[in-house]
Amino acid sequence: MATTTAAVTLTSDLLSDNMSVSATTTCMKAGTTADGLDQMEYGYLDLPTGDEYDLIATTPTASKASKLYLKNHSTDETYYVAVTQNAQAIGKLYGGDWMFIPADFHDAAGDIAITANGGTNKICYALFHEGTVLVTT
Amino acid sequence: MATTAIISISSDIAPGFSGISESMTLTQAGTLTDIDSTTGFQIRKLSATGAVDLVTMASELVEPKDSVASKIYIRNIGYKGTVDKSVGVTIGVNAEPIGLLYGGDWMMMPLTCIDADDITVNPATDDTVVIEYVMFYEEA
Repeated sequence: MATTTAAVTLTSDLLSDNMSVSATTTCMKAGTTADGLDQMEYGYLDLPTGDEYDLIATTPTASKASKLYLKNHSTDETYYVAVTQNAQAIGKLYGGDWMFIPADFHDAAGDIAITANGGTNKICYALFHEGTVLVTT
Repeated sequence: MATTAIISISSDIAPGFSGISESMTLTQAGTLTDIDSTTGFQIRKLSATGAVDLVTMASELVEPKDSVASKIYIRNIGYKGTVDKSVGVTIGVNAEPIGLLYGGDWMMMPLTCIDADDITVNPATDDTVVIEYVMFYEEA
């Protein structure tokens, strides 16, 4: 079984006592407890301003389990990438920000789209998934 | 100390993939100033299918500023020590499904915090499951 684990440590001093949360998960195929995700895409790209782009060109099929990591590696903190899913705004990733979500590619319109603001943004992404079948040319 | 989030991903899917380890400091939009507000760490117990609000933006005691650098951490922690990785809870924004958090899974994503973009949770079954979450945002 392929094994993909994702861990996070979150700390904050905004509360009266310091908050620290740690979590680790093993990324499994949909509806299983014994079979891990076995496909992935990993990329680093320049994202120019002016247009919205689909981040994921090949959409995993619906009802599959997908995990998407996305980081804005821009060093200018005023630069940001607006992230949408199926035209619904999710939020903005400023320079240095990352996100990790269980992306639901429920149909062809469910792709994750990104738009650069401020200047050309540097983007790193990784999609861990299952079930993608290549399309013949 | 501020608010920081560190992610580490390891995988043996692709030979040669050396993993991901990245840190971010949560700041206010377009600045290096630390983010200044939070909902605090909370849990929500769900015992039936059907989408309900996890965060209702218009009902926050401290109004979040719209369309800036807010973030939310959410985790499906199961119930009373039982974590079922085969079933999950669909997380949504403004009725758009973002993805399914199976037992033990966690996510962290940016938010718009505009009133229409409530965060919803919808369990796949009627089995009791607990969601833990914390939202960080800027005060309007």
